[in-house]
Amino acid sequence: MIYADRKTGVIVSGATGNQGSFHINRMNMYARSVGARGVVAGVTPGKGGQEVHNVPVYNSIMEAAEKQDASAAVLFVPGSAAGDSIMEAADAGLDLVITITEHIAVHDVMRAVTYAQVRGCKVIGPNCPGLFSPGEISMGIMPAHLASRGSVGVISRSGTLTYEVVHELTRAGIGQSTIIGIGGDPIIGQTFADVLDRFADDPLTEAVVILGELGGNLEEEGAKAADLPVVAFIAGTTAPPEKRMGHAGAIVTGGEGDANAKISRLRDLGVPVAERLSQIPGFIREQMKCH
Amino acid sequence: MKLKEFEAKEILAKAGIRIPRGVHIRKGQMLDSVQVPAVGKMVAKAQVEVAGRGKAGGILMAERENLKETIEKLFSSSVKGIPVQDILVEERLDIQHEYYLSITIDRSQKTPVILFTTEGGVEIETLARNNPDAIRRASVYPLLATVPGYTLRYLLNTAPGEIGQVIQALYRVFMEKDALLAEINPLVLTPGGLYAADAKLIIDDNALARQGIRENRDLSEREREAAAQGFSFVELEGNIGVIGNGAGLTMATVDLITRIGGKPANFLDVGGGADRTRVAHAVRLLGSMPDVSVIIVNLLGGITRCDEVAAGIIEAGVSQQVIVRLAGTNEAEGKELLYSKGYRMLDTMEEAVSAAVEAAS
Repeated sequence: MIYADRKTGVIVSGATGNQGSFHINRMNMYARSVGARGVVAGVTPGKGGQEVHNVPVYNSIMEAAEKQDASAAVLFVPGSAAGDSIMEAADAGLDLVITITEHIAVHDVMRAVTYAQVRGCKVIGPNCPGLFSPGEISMGIMPAHLASRGSVGVISRSGTLTYEVVHELTRAGIGQSTIIGIGGDPIIGQTFADVLDRFADDPLTEAVVILGELGGNLEEEGAKAADLPVVAFIAGTTAPPEKRMGHAGAIVTGGEGDANAKISRLRDLGVPVAERLSQIPGFIREQMKCH
Repeated sequence: MKLKEFEAKEILAKAGIRIPRGVHIRKGQMLDSVQVPAVGKMVAKAQVEVAGRGKAGGILMAERENLKETIEKLFSSSVKGIPVQDILVEERLDIQHEYYLSITIDRSQKTPVILFTTEGGVEIETLARNNPDAIRRASVYPLLATVPGYTLRYLLNTAPGEIGQVIQALYRVFMEKDALLAEINPLVLTPGGLYAADAKLIIDDNALARQGIRENRDLSEREREAAAQGFSFVELEGNIGVIGNGAGLTMATVDLITRIGGKPANFLDVGGGADRTRVAHAVRLLGSMPDVSVIIVNLLGGITRCDEVAAGIIEAGVSQQVIVRLAGTNEAEGKELLYSKGYRMLDTMEEAVSAAVEAAS
C-alpha cells in the first residue's frame, strides 16, 4: 500500500456537513473492521467542541493537528473554501491532503497545489474519490465491498469507472494493493507519474491499471516513466471536440488531449490499452506473467 | 465560459492594454443613437463564437457613408448558422506588424504558460503545425504576482519594451479574472503603438460567481433543463439515450455503444447519490428527445440507492424501452421493483449495452 496505512491518523475537514459526517462514519466502520486508526478528528469552523460519530470536532485543521496525532486530511469542504483548506493542511504540517471536493476554481487549485508542494505536503485530487487500500485504510468515498486485497494498483481520473474496474478485478480473483482516484480536474496534485513512482517502491504492488480519459497528457507522461507493468483504459473516445464530458478536465482543447491519440501514444510506449473494461483482468494477468 | 470579444476588450482596456476605438451594438438598438468613432475606415465584427469568423462572413469592412447599411446587413445574416445578436464596430488599424500573445494553463507543469510569436494573425494551431519553432513559450511560477524580467526577455528574444508591458497587463488579467485562456491575436503594431485587435477570454466556470459574471451561453432548451437539474449533459447524434453516474463510467458507456456499432444520443451524468426525483428527471429528459428509441441506465455506486433509482425510472414512465444495469445499496429491492413492472435488467455493463444496441437497431 502507498501514501497511508492503518497507523495513519486522519483529519476530516467539512466534518459536520452531510457528506462529511456520512463518510466519517463509513471510514471509521472500515477502520474498525481492519484494526486501523481511521478518522481521529473532524474540522468545521465554528463547530469546535461538537462530536460527529464520536469523533471530536475542532475549529481549524491547525488546532486538530495540535490536539490529535494525525498526518493526513480528507477534505469535504465547499469548492470556494477548498484551496484555503489545502494550504491550511500544508501549514499544519500534514504529509497528505486528499481533496474530495469538486467545482474548485482552477486558479485556486494551481496556487494551493504549488504552495503545498513547497511545504512538503502531497495533494491528491481535487474532484476525486480518494484512496483505498483493502485491509488497511479507507480515505475517501470508495465503496469498500467491491475491493479485495492483492497486488494490483489502480490509478484513475474518475470515480465510478474505478469502482467498475475494481469490481471486474475482484470478480476475476485479482486483488488490489491501493486504489487511488487522482481527480477529474485540469490541475491535480499527484499525477499518474507521481503515483506510479510510489507503486514502484511498494513491495506489495506488481502491476498497475491506469484509468484515464480525454484531456491533457498525464497518462502518457506517467506510462513513459513507469517501472512496473502497466495496463490502461482511456474513456472518451467518442467525445466531440471542445465539449466538456462531465469532468472539468475531460475536454479536448486546441487539438490536445484527444482520447484516440492518447491511446495510440500509449500503445507506442508498449502499454496494452483495453478497448473494453472486461479485458482488463486478462491484460493484467498477461503482464504479470511476462515480468 | 468564453466572453464575447467586446466584453474581453473592455477588461483588457481597464488593465491598460490599448484597444481600437469602437462601439458595441446590440440587435434592435436604434442605430441613430449609437455614437460611432469619428474615423473614416471602419470594421464591423459579428460577436459570435465560431472559428474562422472572417472567412465565414462575420467581419465586414465599412466606410462612414455605408456604415448603417453594413451593420443592418450583418444583423440580418448568420455566421456558420449562428444568428448575429451583437456587433462590434471599430476603427480600422494601420497595421505595421502582427504578433500573437496568449496565456493559458499548462496542465502537466501546473502553471500559467505564456505563448508569444512574432507571426500573429493566424490560428496558433496552424502555426504550431507549420512552424513550431517560431512559438516561444514560458511557464510562470503560480505564486508570483508578475512575470519575471528574464522570462519576458526569453519570450521576446530582446529587451522587453512596450510588448513587455502588454504581457504584464495580460498576465494580471489572467490571474485576477480566473481565466483559463487570455489571448490577443493579433496584437498589432501601429504608428500609434500596440493594439489588441482581437481578444479572447475564457473564464473558469467554477469562478463565475466570485467574478460576478452571468452565464451568457446560448443553450438549447434541453441543455438548459439539464443545467437546471445539475446534470452534465452533452447531446450527440444517435438514437440510444444514455444515463450514467460519474463522468468516467458514463463516457465509457457511450464509447462502448459506439464500439459495438450503436449510436449514442447523448452523454448524461446524473451525479453521485441520485434520488428518485433526479433519476425521473433524467429519464424524462431523454424520453423527450425525438430520435431516442431506447434508453440505457447504467448506475454503479456505493451510496446510490438502487430502490430510489428504480422508483425514479418507474415514475418517469417514458414510452421508450428502458434497459437497466444497477449495482449498489439496496440492489435486490431495486431490481425486484423493476422486474415487477416488466423492465429489462442486466447484471453487467457490457450485457446492458449489447441489449440496448440490439434493441435500437
